Amino acid sequence: MRQGAAVPRRSSLAWRRFRRSVPGVISAAVLLLLYAVALLAPFLAPYSLVEQHPALTYQPPQRIHIIREGRLARPYVYPMAKTRDPVTFVSRFTADTSRPLPIRFFVRGDSYALLGLRLDRHLFGVDGGTVFLLGTDAVGRCVLSRLLVGSRVSLTVGIVGVAISFAIGIVLGGLSGYYAGVLDTLLQRVIEILLSIPRLPILLALATVIPASWPSTRVYLGIVAVLSLIGWAGLARVIRGQVMAVRHLEYVTAARAIGLRDMRIILRHIMPNLSSYLIVTATLALPGYILGESALSFLGLGVKEPMASWGLLLRDAQSFNALHLYPWLLAPGALIVISVMAFNFLGDSLRDVADIQSS
Amino acid sequence: MTRRIKVWIVIGVVVGLVAPASAADKLVRGYDSLGVAPGKAGGRLTVILGDSPQSFFYYGVIDSNLQALAAHLYDGLVEYNYRTYELEPALAEKWTISRDGRVYTFNLRRNVKWHDGRDFTADDVIFTFDQIVANPEARGGDANAFMVGGQRVKFEKVDTYTVRLTLAKAAPAMLQYMRLYMMPKHKLLPFSVEGGAKPADINTAWPTTAEPREVIGTGPFRLQSYVTGQKITLVRNPTYWKTDASGTRLPYLAQLEMLIVRDPEQQVAQFLAGNVGQLNISGAQFPELRSRQQAGAPFKVVSARALFGSPPHLAFNFDARNPDLARLFSDLRWRQAMQMAINRQRIIDDIYNGLAELPGHGVAPISSWYFDTKSHLGKFDLQAAGRALDEMGLRMGPDGVRLLPNGRPLEFTVTYGTDSAVWPPMATIIQNDFKSIGVRVNLVGILSRTLLSTGLSGNYEALLLAFGDQPDPELRKPIWQPGGALYYWHRATQPATPGGEPNFAAMQPWERQIYDLWELGGTTVSRPQRKAVYDKWQVLFAQNLPVIMIAKPTAVGAIHNRYGNYIYSLGVIPGFNPVPLLYQK
Amino acid sequence: MLRFVIRRVLLMVPALLVVSAIVFAVIQLQPGGFLTQYLEDPRFSPQTVETIKRQFGLDRPLHVQYLRWIQGIVTRGDFGYSFLNGRPVAGLIWERVGWTVFLALVTIACTWVIAIPLGIYTAVRPRGAAATAVNLVSYLGQAMPDFLLALLLIAFVLSRGGANVGGLFSPQYIDAPWGWARVRDMLAHLWIPIAAISLEGVAALMRQMRAQLLDVLGADYIRTAHAKGVAEQRVLWKHAVRNAVNPLISLAGLSLPGLISSTILVSIVLNLPTIGPFLYDSLLNKDQYVVTTLLLISSLLLMVGNLLADLALLWVDPRIRYQ
Repeated sequence: MRQGAAVPRRSSLAWRRFRRSVPGVISAAVLLLLYAVALLAPFLAPYSLVEQHPALTYQPPQRIHIIREGRLARPYVYPMAKTRDPVTFVSRFTADTSRPLPIRFFVRGDSYALLGLRLDRHLFGVDGGTVFLLGTDAVGRCVLSRLLVGSRVSLTVGIVGVAISFAIGIVLGGLSGYYAGVLDTLLQRVIEILLSIPRLPILLALATVIPASWPSTRVYLGIVAVLSLIGWAGLARVIRGQVMAVRHLEYVTAARAIGLRDMRIILRHIMPNLSSYLIVTATLALPGYILGESALSFLGLGVKEPMASWGLLLRDAQSFNALHLYPWLLAPGALIVISVMAFNFLGDSLRDVADIQSS
Repeated sequence: MTRRIKVWIVIGVVVGLVAPASAADKLVRGYDSLGVAPGKAGGRLTVILGDSPQSFFYYGVIDSNLQALAAHLYDGLVEYNYRTYELEPALAEKWTISRDGRVYTFNLRRNVKWHDGRDFTADDVIFTFDQIVANPEARGGDANAFMVGGQRVKFEKVDTYTVRLTLAKAAPAMLQYMRLYMMPKHKLLPFSVEGGAKPADINTAWPTTAEPREVIGTGPFRLQSYVTGQKITLVRNPTYWKTDASGTRLPYLAQLEMLIVRDPEQQVAQFLAGNVGQLNISGAQFPELRSRQQAGAPFKVVSARALFGSPPHLAFNFDARNPDLARLFSDLRWRQAMQMAINRQRIIDDIYNGLAELPGHGVAPISSWYFDTKSHLGKFDLQAAGRALDEMGLRMGPDGVRLLPNGRPLEFTVTYGTDSAVWPPMATIIQNDFKSIGVRVNLVGILSRTLLSTGLSGNYEALLLAFGDQPDPELRKPIWQPGGALYYWHRATQPATPGGEPNFAAMQPWERQIYDLWELGGTTVSRPQRKAVYDKWQVLFAQNLPVIMIAKPTAVGAIHNRYGNYIYSLGVIPGFNPVPLLYQK
Repeated sequence: MLRFVIRRVLLMVPALLVVSAIVFAVIQLQPGGFLTQYLEDPRFSPQTVETIKRQFGLDRPLHVQYLRWIQGIVTRGDFGYSFLNGRPVAGLIWERVGWTVFLALVTIACTWVIAIPLGIYTAVRPRGAAATAVNLVSYLGQAMPDFLLALLLIAFVLSRGGANVGGLFSPQYIDAPWGWARVRDMLAHLWIPIAAISLEGVAALMRQMRAQLLDVLGADYIRTAHAKGVAEQRVLWKHAVRNAVNPLISLAGLSLPGLISSTILVSIVLNLPTIGPFLYDSLLNKDQYVVTTLLLISSLLLMVGNLLADLALLWVDPRIRYQ
């Protein structure tokens, strides 16, 4: 059984090749870090998603100091006080250098639910004051905390969306490529028609269909559903092409000869052999979902308050005010760029690995 | 020629030259206190238009951009004084109202020319009212305004320069409707019923593809050209009927450009770049521009208390689908308690950057109809609010959320507009403050333009919305009179059939009182008596809180230093910036 | 070949019908409608709203509205009426098509001018700091949301004291006659939208060019040319690049309709007189005939682009022709 003997060798070979690609490894590490952060977000965030600090709206990021009076000290921040310029109404913040606030770890704060447990310890915080490492927004909410919790939405939209699209695409594309004939032609026509509708306009149109009265969790699922609905057709076509190519290979005819059911053949035998191809395609499709969600939220058609996503947070930054006076609000943009780039680099590396495999 | 005849000819010529100028033209004066000085002729001003107008026919669509354009092209029989907001003569030089308030006689200004040189006469006035405004099929018309006491207002031409209106009963606000723009009969007759067309055909007049020279009015500027989606160019009307105090014919500016820019940030960019000379901005944009002004930029930012402009309010649905909430929201104690939980000062400081004031109740504080209801606004006091809720029997539940009488948690949705700089922070502040007194709010964000239709459909529990203020309360009657078409927080009071009587049985006692006050105010002729009526209404409004008023934004505008005579006194509706008085230095 | 083309064209017709039906249905699902602006104004009574509803045929059942619209297209070339603008749809779209196509073409040209040389370079010298830098920058361009990039560019221009912060022209040149000054003004405005839009396409095209070129460079005839002693540069340019570029030309045809939709956000932020902002507004206002027509036209462009791509492929690669 050549196949059985080859599989372990192939994957370890692939892993070694992957390790050699520097951008690929870095991207994988970055993504793992981002997803870990998203998982632990409420713990890592010093404040909750919605907690407001009315006296400290639009506060710039606080600097962490480690030197006090010439000596190394425990990291601390200064409390900030806000005054408004009487003429321009621009807010000015001054640090009260007489009262350093040391940063404490594992402090008690707002309670939150994590992996089924109710916890209230946060990674860091200060007593008797506030620490905003990325500043605050228009109503005095911690930008860092919102960024961290918002990463859960932005990062999972891609995964869930791609998963759904793939599920639909594998079944339909697989059936289409396997059976060929009338079913194939019909499905191909349907897919062609769906693919000929331009992406952003139909995305907008579908997004406006989501009722506004739905709670934010359902809106999130609605957005994911909309993105998947638009994404599955392209995937199905690609999968169909691949299935067609392997349809006549030996192992398929052998499986049919044994009498295995067709669906089983498609799912249990053909797909695993396409797995490298599928992984690459999925990785390269993900960024489209992240950018799609940020575009929808930018237009106000995506996830809504009190849920946060990077796209929604970016809306607050979308003004000359923000660019000129409150540039820290742009942090979500940086994260979008980093995660999309990471996915692209990773996908490229994986594809190089897979290509070398197939040749 | 005999000497006598020569003398008469000279006298005749002199009188002929002087008389039309003094008898017909309106002298614009009395604004020295606002800093208005005689200006220089010539120059060009570029302003912003938020989007392409949908048509060039003012009465064919409802479009705020068309309204902004129309303000430069047309005039009404009367107009506002820039300083006092009182009505004063425009195309009507003077008018008389009969003792019983039912007959209005307008004497029209003579020698007013349409942009194509033809004379403006009573025919145009009758045509505009009869064939256009009162035409129920005209989409931008106002047929309702001309139904008084169940009968249509009668328009008659007395002579070439005199028009008479006859009403079934007195309606003091009728004079406000005389601000409506006059249209040229000789151009628009073919589109009217009088000219043989169907009633709906009037809406097809003057689309944006029409030849600009065809779109004429009597206003200070004339339409010269339109580049689709980009720019509208207007040129000075050399025969405009207004002059300044020293006799120089207005407008001063030779050219007015309206640049079509949709995105508010783009608008600011164009202004900062010097491409646009004047810009209306919000309190949120104020610090950025003002700090640039401080740093030496060549413009100044001006703010003024506004009459127009929409003060936001929070409405609770008396007819919410959830019967427990409906009962709760209809209870005055609830609304009074929640008023104490709204931090107006923080909203004014943080959202409007201080450029707002405490609101009136249905009337702008700067209006002459305003009655000081500030004492009824209460103070922001979360503890007192919590105590009031305790007294209502809404005890605190285990997880910090109060419980309704039936044991379910006290939570409801607040619907607001997501695509604005004002609503989202306001909604989150309210949500946060309500949470601290044990009231859980779930925010529902929708597009701002669907806010009113959501309210009217009853498909909400609490709603954040704003209605504009007007110089005469009567113009806001459908909003604030119980049973009115826009009285959306208590739709049960609305008539069962359109045009019928409101459902008095559903009204609470104070609503019936307010209803009667509105009926009285609409027909009282004496101004002091009317004022007393509306004063009582404002007090009832403030005491019984059909909605909770939040704040009244200040009007803010920016203008480049190369322009003089910029008065920003009437508020955020563009076009009321008195462009005819502006001049380029 | 001709039979192939005819068959494809005939297939387009039912496909377009299905697309239009789908789009029309999706728009109807959206809550609210065109009439909300009339409800908004307190001067309007419900009777007037009913009258307007009748005037626009919005009181008929949906399938009747749809069929009457199709009938209008087929018999009169009438694409329906825009409620929002009070004019037939066809004229509105026609006015904006010119600049949309111009911008799309210029963007494609710029993308090519930047991406092809970069693709060649990274194929020929794949390792090394320069290649990594190029990759990084192009990926950055693709990853950044285009509306954010446009805004950053505007802020950059403003900070340098520039005035070309949006639109295609300065106000004084909008209706000026064509001349050098106007062209210069337009170029000064054009670079921002082109930079914001084309940066995304550069990465993709660059990668494709590199992949194609690598494929071609490994082919037999290249090795033969080397063996024959042809100079490296000549091999690269005369043989490899020319063959690698061919399939990409067909791809260029496909990117045109995509550009119309992908420029929506940038067009709004930069205030460009193109179809994008118009489509967005119509979507939000449920101006159903405008939206359906625009999407129909885009779908048609895509199908035509597909057909041309397939034809180009057929023409280039004789092997496929005989399959």
